[in-house]
Amino acid sequence: MSIKRSMSPRWAMKESRMNIALTGNPNSGKTTLFNALTGKNEHVGNWAGVTIDQKEGKVKKSISKSTDELTVIDLPGAYSMSPFTSEESITSDFVLQKKPDVIINIVDSTNLSRSLFFTSQLLELKIPVVIALNKSDLSKKKGTVIDVPLLSRLLSSPVIETTSTKANDNGLEELVSNALTVLGSTQAAPFKGMSESNNRQSVEADNKARYNFVKEIIKKVEIRNTKSHTQTNQDRVDRIIANKWLGIPIFAAVMWGVFSISQTLLGPLLADILVGWIDGLYGLIEGLMGNEVSPFLKSLFLDGIIGGVGAVLGFLPLIMILFFLLALLEDCGYMARVAVVMDRFFKHVGLSGKSIIPMVIGTGCAIPGIMATRTIKNERQRRTTAMLTPFMPCGAKLPVIALFAGVFFNDAAWVGTTMYFMGIGIIILGAMIIVRITGEKNARSYFIMELPEYRVPSLKRATVSMFARAKAFIIKAGTIILLCNAVVQIMQTFNWQFQMIPEGAASTSILASISSPFAFLLIPLGFGAWQLAAAAITGFIAKENVVGTLAVVYSITNFIDTEELALISGSADIAGIMGLTSVAALSYLLFNLFTPPCFAAIGAMNAEMEDNKWLWSGIGFQFGMGYVVAFLTYQIGTLLTTGSFGLGFIYGLIPTVLLIGYLIFLMRRGDQKAELKLKKSA
Amino acid sequence: MMLCTTANITESREVNLNFDKNKTLTDSPSNLTEAKISKEYIIKDIIADDQDLKDFLFTLGCYKGETIALISILAENYVITVKDARYSIDSDLARAIRL
Repeated sequence: MSIKRSMSPRWAMKESRMNIALTGNPNSGKTTLFNALTGKNEHVGNWAGVTIDQKEGKVKKSISKSTDELTVIDLPGAYSMSPFTSEESITSDFVLQKKPDVIINIVDSTNLSRSLFFTSQLLELKIPVVIALNKSDLSKKKGTVIDVPLLSRLLSSPVIETTSTKANDNGLEELVSNALTVLGSTQAAPFKGMSESNNRQSVEADNKARYNFVKEIIKKVEIRNTKSHTQTNQDRVDRIIANKWLGIPIFAAVMWGVFSISQTLLGPLLADILVGWIDGLYGLIEGLMGNEVSPFLKSLFLDGIIGGVGAVLGFLPLIMILFFLLALLEDCGYMARVAVVMDRFFKHVGLSGKSIIPMVIGTGCAIPGIMATRTIKNERQRRTTAMLTPFMPCGAKLPVIALFAGVFFNDAAWVGTTMYFMGIGIIILGAMIIVRITGEKNARSYFIMELPEYRVPSLKRATVSMFARAKAFIIKAGTIILLCNAVVQIMQTFNWQFQMIPEGAASTSILASISSPFAFLLIPLGFGAWQLAAAAITGFIAKENVVGTLAVVYSITNFIDTEELALISGSADIAGIMGLTSVAALSYLLFNLFTPPCFAAIGAMNAEMEDNKWLWSGIGFQFGMGYVVAFLTYQIGTLLTTGSFGLGFIYGLIPTVLLIGYLIFLMRRGDQKAELKLKKSA
Repeated sequence: MMLCTTANITESREVNLNFDKNKTLTDSPSNLTEAKISKEYIIKDIIADDQDLKDFLFTLGCYKGETIALISILAENYVITVKDARYSIDSDLARAIRL
């Protein structure tokens, strides 16, 4: 998942002799086929609407017999040439405007009757079409017989049976060679629409005729063994998984499983090993440097670079396992069912079941999560979901959670779990507030979601996805995080006159003087130390920086091994290093999790919201939410533990009351708008 | 979980899955929420003021004169089958599909 993906369709094509566009219904296997053709590993999942942007790749030489360069363009799924959601329009725009040399139309062979509607439209564009009859293994398993030669004759275009999930004997070579054969040829459209007219009725009549044409074809070429309206085992599984009462507990158990395996069971075990290696490296470099190197360079290298980056890298196994498990979840077909389960709850807060998918993806990384909102048709729902998705703790926030759980709460598993449930709670609260502010609390929206067939998730794909993620994380640690740590290290070593600051005068450093004003604002939240403010600020560049910066400013290289921390502080009172009580530590954690996400995610929000007012309101809302939650946690927590409020209670209460008051005012105003709308429609 | 299909569910095993107590299953349902499970119906009309949505349903093969069947009712959503695919739709949309 590259961060710098352009959000608008880029038509910047490299000069190559041949462009092949992959088109077809959602979830027909386009991206899987794309990956098989190009050897890339773009994100796949088993639900409609995984691909939301076009991607390009070159066909592997092992598949193509041609000496020319073949570029394949993977496009989002579409049911027809007249788009319903914005990602569908990417597809129709591309095909109409860019005029690829050949279209490979991927047809889901288990659902011929719907797929061919789009096929017949593609055949009218005067671009050569090759049809890939994909998932042929599944349709054979169902006992469906398709007369491929006859289908090819009726559509007057080549039809190749493919199984893009298989490594060999999958029909891909034949597909590519056919694409080369039809290049430059003209195929006669088997069905000619009168789509020139924009008259509603004639378009409808046209489409009916098109469907009838498809029906005739199906009659001739397909013999189905199973009637689609009979109950299958899949339907029985759905009755349990999406059951009114069981659906939520099952979803909660699944998510809890994902997080406990990645964060408390398996993740830390592997992290321990990795941290051991990092420590070894630290010792090795320290030994190599000897006493020849200046103390400044030594600490820059050891504490700033190895310590800071190592502290973050130590959490790599947790993130890898999280992504592995999420990939399995996305691959088996469960996501669409979660949408069904959550629909009735989300309806109450003005969203629909579709909003849960970005949030689940957002537990991995908020950026693809936010981009996944593109499949939501309703504008307000889409923007609201884009605004709220970052409240789900993402993979980059895992190290922060793990650090605080380890240092302040004895590695308690409840910390991580609580953060996720708090995230969900905040999302629900946020959605309620936003729907009222926009004055759309009476608005109705329909929910429709295709239920893909369940399948056994592919371990290979999950492994590939995990390593792709690990690579991205290591690159991030080696670039952005390394740079930030080095800068932080330099800023805390020198004062404004660029003199090295003496021992014990840390508060005169550049870093301290920049962070102190912010730290002052954070006193009511329980953490007025400039070191903590600096870490929160660098967190906006990348959330892992919170860990990296804390490692640098407190010179701690190993957060996972709490014994080491105890040694530094000279006692078992680890919290003493940071001068935080458990309550303040929790407040600091919440502040970092529930304020705005990193800049890259804000960029994604900007792209999907397409509206500055929404963007800034969203960022303001996220800041306000983080501040208020941290304030309440610290002050109430301190009251409960010590019997009196914490520092700066009054100073924090004023903005808190103002923020809440302003929200209530906006909601009231929205309600009046809603009343007016009701009166108008009555 | 690649599951293979099994024999048809017999009429006697049909359960009333309707959560709405005020409704009874009739032999001539007026809309999809009153339909019997696993029985094929012909769509009479789709009553929705959202033209985009109607067009979208059309591309899925859900339009006047087409066959539709109700598979189950899950969490207040209706699982339907049209054109050999399964969709989950909410009750508002199910009510909009007249049989």
